Amino acid sequence: MAEYAKLSFQKGGLNKELAAFFRGLLENGAVDGVLVPMAQNHKWVRLTLVTSASHTAGVDPFAPVAAVSGAKIASSLTSRPSGRTIAMVLRPCEIRAVVELAKLKQVNLDDVLLIGMDCLGRYENTDFVKFQEQGGTSEAFLENALAGKTSGPDFDIVGACKICEFPTAANADLSLCAIGGGNGAVFIEALTEKGGQTLEKSGMKPSEAPAGRNEAVKKLAAARLEARDKKFAEFRAEVNSFEALADKLAGCVNCYNCRVACPVCYCKECVFITDTFRHTGEQFMMWAEQSGMLKMPTDTMFYHLTRLTHMSLFCVGCGQCTSACPNGLDLMPLFRTCAEKTQARFDYQAGRSLEEEQPMAGFATDELIEVTGQVK
Amino acid sequence: MAEEKPTGTVLVVGAGISGIKAAIELAESGYKVILTDESPQMGGILAKLDYQFPTDHCGMCRMLPLVGREYASQYCMRKSLFHENIEILPFTGIDSVQGNGGNYRVDLRKRARFIDPAICNELGKCIDVCPVEVEDEFNHGLTRRKAVYQAVPHNNPRMLLIDKQACTRCGECLKVCPTGAINLDAQDEVETREVHAVILASGVQLYNTRDFEDARSYAVSPDVVTSLAFERVLSSSGTYQGGAIRRPSDARPAKKIAWIQCMGSRNRRQHRDYCSSICCMFALKEAVLAKQKGGPEVEATIFYMDMRTFGKGFQQYRDKAVEEHGVKLIRCRVQGVMLKPDGSLMMRYHDPETNEFFEKDFDLVVLSTGQIPFEAHRRWADLLKAPLDERGLLATEQPGMVRVAGKPGLFLCGSLTGLTDISEAIISGIAAAGEAAKFLTALGVDTVKKEDIPEPASKARELPLVAVALCRCGEKTGAAGLDYELFRAELTRYPSVGAVQVIDSICKADGEAALLDSLAKTACNRLLIGACQPFIYRRKLKDVARKAGFNSAMVEIFDLFGVARRGMAEPSAADWTLRAAGEIKADIHSLKYKPALQVNTLPINQTALVIGGGIGGMTAALSLADRGVPVHLVEKEGHLGGYLGTRVEHTIDGLAPVALAADLRQKVLAHKHITVHLNCEVEKSLGTLGRFESQLRFKNNGENKYLHHGAMIIATGGREGATTEYGYGTSEKVLTQAELKRGLTDGNVDVSEVENVVMIQCAGSRQKEGRRYCSRICCLGAIGNALEIKEKNPDARVFILYRDVMTYGFYEQYYTKARAAGIIFVNYSPDAKPRVEMAEGRPVVKFTDPVLKEEMELPADLLVLSTGVDPGESNQGLADALNLSLTEDGFLAEADSKWRPIEFQKVGIYLAGTAHSPMPLKNVLLQAEAAAQKAYTYLSGRELPTAAVTSMVKDALCARCRRCVNICPYGARSYNEADKCIDIDAAACQACGLCAVECQNNAAEVRGWGDKQLMAAIDAKLMDRPLASAG
Repeated sequence: MAEYAKLSFQKGGLNKELAAFFRGLLENGAVDGVLVPMAQNHKWVRLTLVTSASHTAGVDPFAPVAAVSGAKIASSLTSRPSGRTIAMVLRPCEIRAVVELAKLKQVNLDDVLLIGMDCLGRYENTDFVKFQEQGGTSEAFLENALAGKTSGPDFDIVGACKICEFPTAANADLSLCAIGGGNGAVFIEALTEKGGQTLEKSGMKPSEAPAGRNEAVKKLAAARLEARDKKFAEFRAEVNSFEALADKLAGCVNCYNCRVACPVCYCKECVFITDTFRHTGEQFMMWAEQSGMLKMPTDTMFYHLTRLTHMSLFCVGCGQCTSACPNGLDLMPLFRTCAEKTQARFDYQAGRSLEEEQPMAGFATDELIEVTGQVK
Repeated sequence: MAEEKPTGTVLVVGAGISGIKAAIELAESGYKVILTDESPQMGGILAKLDYQFPTDHCGMCRMLPLVGREYASQYCMRKSLFHENIEILPFTGIDSVQGNGGNYRVDLRKRARFIDPAICNELGKCIDVCPVEVEDEFNHGLTRRKAVYQAVPHNNPRMLLIDKQACTRCGECLKVCPTGAINLDAQDEVETREVHAVILASGVQLYNTRDFEDARSYAVSPDVVTSLAFERVLSSSGTYQGGAIRRPSDARPAKKIAWIQCMGSRNRRQHRDYCSSICCMFALKEAVLAKQKGGPEVEATIFYMDMRTFGKGFQQYRDKAVEEHGVKLIRCRVQGVMLKPDGSLMMRYHDPETNEFFEKDFDLVVLSTGQIPFEAHRRWADLLKAPLDERGLLATEQPGMVRVAGKPGLFLCGSLTGLTDISEAIISGIAAAGEAAKFLTALGVDTVKKEDIPEPASKARELPLVAVALCRCGEKTGAAGLDYELFRAELTRYPSVGAVQVIDSICKADGEAALLDSLAKTACNRLLIGACQPFIYRRKLKDVARKAGFNSAMVEIFDLFGVARRGMAEPSAADWTLRAAGEIKADIHSLKYKPALQVNTLPINQTALVIGGGIGGMTAALSLADRGVPVHLVEKEGHLGGYLGTRVEHTIDGLAPVALAADLRQKVLAHKHITVHLNCEVEKSLGTLGRFESQLRFKNNGENKYLHHGAMIIATGGREGATTEYGYGTSEKVLTQAELKRGLTDGNVDVSEVENVVMIQCAGSRQKEGRRYCSRICCLGAIGNALEIKEKNPDARVFILYRDVMTYGFYEQYYTKARAAGIIFVNYSPDAKPRVEMAEGRPVVKFTDPVLKEEMELPADLLVLSTGVDPGESNQGLADALNLSLTEDGFLAEADSKWRPIEFQKVGIYLAGTAHSPMPLKNVLLQAEAAAQKAYTYLSGRELPTAAVTSMVKDALCARCRRCVNICPYGARSYNEADKCIDIDAAACQACGLCAVECQNNAAEVRGWGDKQLMAAIDAKLMDRPLASAG
C-alpha cells in the first residue's frame, strides 16, 4: 500500500501545516492524543503528549534533535496502557526500537497510531541549542541536509546518523516524507490500512507519489551504507584486541547513563546496581593482590561486555549511548559493529519486522550446534 | 502395638532399559529394589547406542524421575545409575528361585571380578601393563582390549575387571597395583536374598552371524557387520574418528553401504517365524546417520521385505529418510553377499521399481539382525518351573502382558514380552513396576522408612566460616600419593577456612564417628567434604553433617579423587595436591555465598482423574483404585466401554474386548473408590501435579461440575478412519474392515457365497494427503477378517493388496498362517494405487501385478478397505483445556517419544491408548497400567517434595517481557494475566537455568546458582595457585 497526501507549505510555514494536520487528528477524534516533538518556550524541542487540539501550535517533528529516545516514552505510555488512542510521531530509529520493545512486551501497540518520518540526522542536544541560537530552523535543516550539507560552523549531525542506512520509516502507519518531495512540500504516506483510513478521515486529498522520492532515498541510503562500512572497518582495525577495547573503555566511570539512554535496554533495574555487584572490601583486596593493582571503579569493562551480550541483538544503532556519555566515550561503533555480527548470525535485524521472532527467545533442541558443541 | 511390616523388596533381573525403568519406578514408589545384570555393565543394548531415532541423539537420562530430584541422583545414565533405594549388582546371575507368591528366595551368583571396586583407585595402571589382548566385545571385535578392562568405555565409576578366560595369570598387574585391589584367586559368591516380587527384564538372545547357519552366505568378510556392530562403527567410543565411516577390514572410507533386513528373522525354515520389530527403524536411523557422519557422497541402500513403520512417527521418519536424506529403499530379499578379490562386497538383486536385475558392489554391508527369544524363555521356564505357551514363550495371564501365568509376584518386561523398541521397553518396565506395586500393596508390605533427622538452623547470615573434611578413603587416595599435610597447610591459610580435618573412610562407621566428633568441636558454619564418588554418598554424608548440626544447604561434597585425577596423564603427589587445592578453592568460594535453600513440600490431592471410559481408561482407573486411590472416571458417552469394548468381540491375538470391557465395567461400577461421570467432557483444567482443578461439562443439561485431583490420565481413544477412495459409499459391496468385522460377527455380511474378496490396505493412510501415519492395526485386522472368511467359506478367494504388511513381532505368525490358508497378498506401490470401477453392480479392482508387471482385473464380490484410525475428535478440545499440544497428525504429543512416551512436559498428566497413537489392545492395556503407575508414584504420598534448587522470580526486578516463559522447555513458567506476574510450577521446574540465562537483569534466577556465587567460584579458578608460585 502506498497512498500519499501532499502537504504544501509557504516558506517558514512547514510546522504550521503539520500542526494543522495533528490538530485535525485530535479534532476529528481519530486519536485521543499526539506524542510529537514540540518546542518548549521556543527553545528546547522535546517529545510532548498533546491532547488538546488548541495546543498543537508548537509542533516541530523535523527538528534535528532527539533528547530522549521516543521508544522509551512509548514504553512509558503503553506498557501499562491507558486504553486511549495515541498517535506517536517518531524517528525511524525510534520506531525500530519500538518494534523490539513491542516484542519484549514493553510497548503495547494496540492503541497506537505510529507516525514515522524521514530522518536526515540529529544534532547532540547542546549542538541543537547552538543551531537554534544561530537561527537554524527545521525547514532550513531539511533543505540543507537534502542538498547534502548537515554541518554547522563547529558541529555536525551525530556519528550514528552519518552511518544510518535507514533514513525512512518502516513499520509505521503513516510517515512524514521530506525526501524527494521538492521545495515547499512534504508528503504524508500511508503505510498500513489503519494509516490509510486515518489519512482519509483527515480529509486530505490523495496525491501522486513524490516523483523523485525512491531514487533520492536509495541514493541517500547507499551513501550512508558506504559511510557505515567505512566506519565499521576503521573501528574494527582500531579495536582489534582485548587490550584495545580496554583502552577504549578506560574512561568509563560506571555512571550507567548509556544504559539509561539506550532505548532497548529495558530492565527495570540493571543487574549492575544490584547486590551482585556490591563487593566486600576483602574481595577488592583479593583482586588487587592478583596483579598488584586495581582500577576503580571496577567492573567497567564487564558492564559494557554484559550490555553487548544483552542488547546487541536488539541494537537499532540510534547512537543514544554515545550522546549520553559524560566522558565522551564513543560507544555507538562498538555496539553497531558487534550487533552487525550477532544479528547476522541469526539472520535477524533489530526493528525490521514485528513478526520475526527475536533470537534465542524460545527453546530449540537444535540451535547453533557448532557453538553449543552438541554432538550429533 | 502394630506389628512392624517388612519393607517391600523387588528383584529386577536385567539392567537394560526396561529393567532400569522398572527399578526406578519401584524405587520412586518407596520400595527397595535389587537390580542385577548378567553382564559387568548396565544399560543393556543401549549402552552401545550413541544415537537413537527419532532425534538421532542419546536421551537415556530422560527416563530419570523429574520430581523429588533431591533424592535421586541425576547423572548421565550411560555412565551409571544411582538411587538410594536401588542396590545395583552387575555381573550377577540368578542360580535359583524358590518359593512362591510374595515370598521368593533367590540365590544370586556374584561373579568374581578379580578387582575389588571398593579398593581400586581406577587409575588403570594394571591395564597399561597387561600383556594379553583380546577382542573387545563391547565393540563387537572391531577393537581390542586387555584382559584387565573396563566393560563400557563411558562407565563411571570405571568398575575395572579381569577377563578370566583371557588372563594368563602373569601377575604383572599385581606388581603395579598401588592399592592391592587385585586378587586373581577370587571366587564367585552366592548370596541368598528374600524378595517379595521378581521382575524379569533380562532381554533375549540376539541373532549373531557366528552361531547360525543361515548367516553363512552373508557374513563373508569383516566388512559385513551386524546392525549393533555398526553402531560401534558410528561411535567415537567405537571406531569412528570423524570425517568418514571406515570399514573394519582396512579402515578405508565406506561410501556404498547396504543394509539387509530380516537377517535371522521371518524365517520359517529356521523356526523363527516372527519379526524382530525394531530392525526397520534401526536400519533407517543407521542409514540417516551414515549419511550424516560419512558425508553426502555416502550411498545408503536398505534391502527390505516389508518396511515396518508401524509406530508413532515411524512413517514420517521413513519419509524424511528417503526424501530429505536420500536413503534408498529396495524391496528385495538378497540371497547372499559375494566377496570379490579386491575386498568389495557384491550383491545381486532385483529392483521391483524398474523390474531390472543388478549386480552391485558395496563397501560395507550391515545385517539387520534381530532376536532369538526362545532360549531365554526356556531357561526361565526351567528355573522358575513356569509353563511355556504354544509359541515357546513364558506363558502370561494375558498374551503379551507382564504377569507370568500361575506365578503371583512374578512379572516380565522389555524384550521378554517380544523385542521392543525403547518406548515399549519403557512402557512395559513401568507397567511391570505397576503390577509389582499393586502386588506389594495387596501383600501389605511397607515402603522404605526414612530416618528422620531434624534440619538444623542454617546460620546462613553468619559470617561464612568453612570447615573442610578430607577423606583419606582407606588406602585409595593415600596410596595414590595425595599429600594431605601439604594440602591441609595450604587450605588452613586460606581466608574463611576455619578448620581442615583429614579423616579415614568417612563412608564407614568409624569414619562417620570421627567426622561427627571433629564437627562437634568446630565453630564453623559451612562444611565442605572431599570424598570419593559423591554421587553415591551425597545423601549419606549430608545426613552425617546434619547430625553434627550443619544445615544440609550449608554442606557441599566434592569428588576429591576425581578432582585430583582429572586430566592428569602421569600424576605425581605434588601435582595431585596442587590440582586438588586449586579446584577446592572454587568450591570454598562458592560455598561461602551459598544461600540457605530448603526442600519445600507441596500437599498432594491423592485423587486421580481418568478421562475416557474405554478399556484403557477403565484399566487405569481400576489399577489406581485397587491401590486405594480415589478415582473420577469421565466418559463422554452415556455408557462405559469405548470403541473396542462395545464393537469388537475378538482380536486376532486372542483377546476378547467386549467381554473384557464387560468385566471391567462391572468392577468399575462396583468399586468403592471409583466415581463414574457419564455424558460429560473436561472443559478446562487448571493447576499442576498434586493440585488440579477440572471443570466437567455435561452434554445433556449443560451443567458444570468441578473436580479436584492430584493427577490425571488421558485415555480418550480414537475414531474409525474414513475414506472416500476406492468407490466407498457408492455400493454396499464396498465396506471398511470394521464394517466387515461387525457384519461377520452379527451375520449381516454373508460370505458363504462369495467368490472373490479384495482387501485394499492403507486406504487414506501413509500418504501426504489424509493420514500420514500407519494405523498399525489394519494389517492384523485384515488378516483376521480374511482368515474368518476362509474359515466360513474355504472356496472364497481373498486378495489383500498391501504396501507393507505390518505384522511386526509375533504377529508375523498370523501373516504366515494367512498365506498358508491360501490368502493371496499382492504388493502395490503408492505411485500406482489400485483403481476401482463399478461393473454390473460390483466393484472391479484394477492393479499392476508386481511380478508380471501386467495390469490385472479382479471383479470383487466384496471390496474391503482398511481405513485406519483417526485421532479422537475431542483431542483438540482436550489439548486446549489442558494446555497440551497435539502432533501434526492430531494425536496427543507426549514429552518424548522414546523416553517419556506416556508423559507430558507438564508433570502430573499421563497418556494411555489410542489418544497417543493407533495401537493394538495389548499395548493399550500396557500403557494404561503404566500410566496408572506413573500417577500412583505421586498420589501414594501425602506431599510432594519440590527440589530445593528451582528457578525463582525476583518480582521487583521483573520487566514482564516473558522471554523466560517462551524458553522454558518444561512449561514450568507462565504469565499470570490476573496478577500480571510470572508464575513458576516448582514441581515441573528442572532447574536447567535457561530462564536465568535468558533474563537480562537476573529477575529469573536458579536458587543456589546465583551470580554472586558463580562469579566467586570463577574468580577463585582464575586466581594464581599460591602453591605453584610458592613452588
